[in-house]
Amino acid sequence: MIILELENVSKSYSNKKIIDNISFSVDQGEIFGLLGPNGAGKTTTLRMMLDIIKPESGNIKVFGKDLDPNSKDRIGYLPEERGLYKKSKVIELLVYLAQLKGMTKIRAMENTVNLLQSVEMLELKDKKIEELSKGMQQKIQFIATIIHGPDLIVVDEPFSGLDPVNTQIIKNIILEQKKCGKTIILSTHMMEQAEAMCDRILMINKGMIVLNGKVGDIKNEHRNNSIFLEFEGDLNSIEGLDQIENIIRHGTHIEIFLKDGHDVQSLIEDIVTRVRILRIERSTPSLNEIFIKIVKGVSS
Amino acid sequence: MNKSLMIAKYEFLKTVKRKEFILMTLGFPLFFILIMLVPLLLAGTSSPEDLNLGYIDKTNSFEFPDEITVRGSMIFSNEIPGVTNNQELDGTNNEKYPIIKFTQYSDVASAKQDLGSGTLSGYLIIPEDYIKTGIVESYVIGKLTDIPKKELSELMVNNLLKDKVDEETLQRVKDPITFKQFSVETTGEVSEKGLSDLLEDFALPYLTGILLLISIFTSSGYLLQSVAEEKESRIIEILLSSVTPIEMLTGKIVGLGSVGLLQIAIWLSVGFAGLIYVFALSINPFLLILSLAYFILGFLLFASMMGAVGAISGSMRESQQLIPIFTFPAIAPIFFMQVLITEPEGTLSMFFSMFPLTSPVAMLIRMGVSDVPLYQIAVSLIILMVSVYFVIIISARLFRVGLLMYGKRPAIGEIIRYMKTG
Repeated sequence: MIILELENVSKSYSNKKIIDNISFSVDQGEIFGLLGPNGAGKTTTLRMMLDIIKPESGNIKVFGKDLDPNSKDRIGYLPEERGLYKKSKVIELLVYLAQLKGMTKIRAMENTVNLLQSVEMLELKDKKIEELSKGMQQKIQFIATIIHGPDLIVVDEPFSGLDPVNTQIIKNIILEQKKCGKTIILSTHMMEQAEAMCDRILMINKGMIVLNGKVGDIKNEHRNNSIFLEFEGDLNSIEGLDQIENIIRHGTHIEIFLKDGHDVQSLIEDIVTRVRILRIERSTPSLNEIFIKIVKGVSS
Repeated sequence: MNKSLMIAKYEFLKTVKRKEFILMTLGFPLFFILIMLVPLLLAGTSSPEDLNLGYIDKTNSFEFPDEITVRGSMIFSNEIPGVTNNQELDGTNNEKYPIIKFTQYSDVASAKQDLGSGTLSGYLIIPEDYIKTGIVESYVIGKLTDIPKKELSELMVNNLLKDKVDEETLQRVKDPITFKQFSVETTGEVSEKGLSDLLEDFALPYLTGILLLISIFTSSGYLLQSVAEEKESRIIEILLSSVTPIEMLTGKIVGLGSVGLLQIAIWLSVGFAGLIYVFALSINPFLLILSLAYFILGFLLFASMMGAVGAISGSMRESQQLIPIFTFPAIAPIFFMQVLITEPEGTLSMFFSMFPLTSPVAMLIRMGVSDVPLYQIAVSLIILMVSVYFVIIISARLFRVGLLMYGKRPAIGEIIRYMKTG
């Protein structure tokens, strides 16, 4: 089921196109990564999904219809630029934010206590926000995002400023939510996180879509036709093979590029007969490498 | 519950719990009472010092008593016949009032010497041509010693008219007019105006006007602060993902407007309770309702403007620098109070009581000093309502676009464009 759909959406600020005619959709129950370099238009896209700003042209449908106050209550949003009322007490603030999402006070109170417990912060419920450390404040912000049990969770750079332990805690909560059938849109420029968590990704650069699809498919698509090889034996015996285009030496190992139309499988079979293999690996680029390649390619 | 109401409730509770609010709301009446009490207390405890004055009479026609007691506007003295009529009051609290002792000198030199040695606090010279000029020279050491003019004047009058007029005329010369006011109604009915009537007619609207102004400013100031704070702390985007900017602005205005109402209710009830107690005044319910209407409309006007300012400016500090643009016109009626009171039907008064930024205060003051025709009140209220309507629409547009803008404040041209299009 499609939870969110953007159709030919554009937005410009003072005559500069920030988002240029983009379309994509997000399915229920997936973690959808919205990636891109700084200034690519990620936050603008998210804000339009949440009706915080209006698109100039195009259509946005959430839960199958145009965005209305009711569907807004079913979305949880963690903005990149985030803060809390410094003077408020943790529990009062969370209950208030949940009420603004249409919850009753009693339900809001219940959820607050449960979630605080799950991140081991219940004993801090009567502390003022300003008395908490930065990491704790970020956890409170994350709780505020899911306090009303939203069906769609939109998080913008959720891990920025968190230490590894807290990153893991937040990550686990996100995966937990996914297990419950919730849909998550994760916007980040940290590719390792996206690679580890996302089912599908959409990469935008300068307001345009440059990549869209399953993480595995994208990686396959951007795979170089090459293998890494560490071996004992004579390099010359390999160099003679006619399906090889080029060989690059990387210290302890070499990278072998194949000619177009040749298969890695048959190359490996040929190599096995010539040298003693210590390690062999198909070269698969990380999302990070693809990201850098694409961003550089577009700008050059 | 409606989301705007939820915001209103939250803002209300948050603000009334603030130290500044409690201090201002309770402190202001206390401060007022103190201001009224302190002079009384001071007057009771530290009276002006006794004086020892020398005098040289070059006209040879004045004779001062050896000493007089300065007691308000009255002089008690046994020396001169005709001034003894108040003597029975004398002696009740005599030691509390300062005494002026007089010593006559025949030449300046010896008076100067005694002043130098400290025997005298100062000396006076009545020149030969005093009758023509009215000049009396006073010589004191260093800065001016306060020589009570009124008491001396009475002494001079006593001397000048001695044996020339009868006692009653003498008293009349000293205090020629006491006004007793009557007001002639349009029906031809004549009624006497007492102090309490004057207070009721003038002081109440005046007081209400000033309190109104302060209250409008404090509560719309809270609004500005609250918007700027949300922007600065970056909670704004979290809020905007739950509510629309209009819901937010409405909620804040209702919540903080109630704070202002609460504040002015406390002030007025303290003030009126005091006035009713002291002067046995009756409160005109029409005036009270009108004050309420002007407060609500005035607040809506200022608050929505402040909301827009808070949304557009980048920080609390920046927004506070912009406040005077709005406060200055609002305070104008206070600056031109004199005109409003003396010419309540004049062009300027008329303008102030119609112009939306000044009408709440100006109209209440005008009503205090004259009978403002009902249609004028109606017109000013209608103008105010229409302006409130447009200002809210424009502010809401600016509010919406301004909230998420950080860094540079938009240029005037941009602001005007947003006003038109939102």
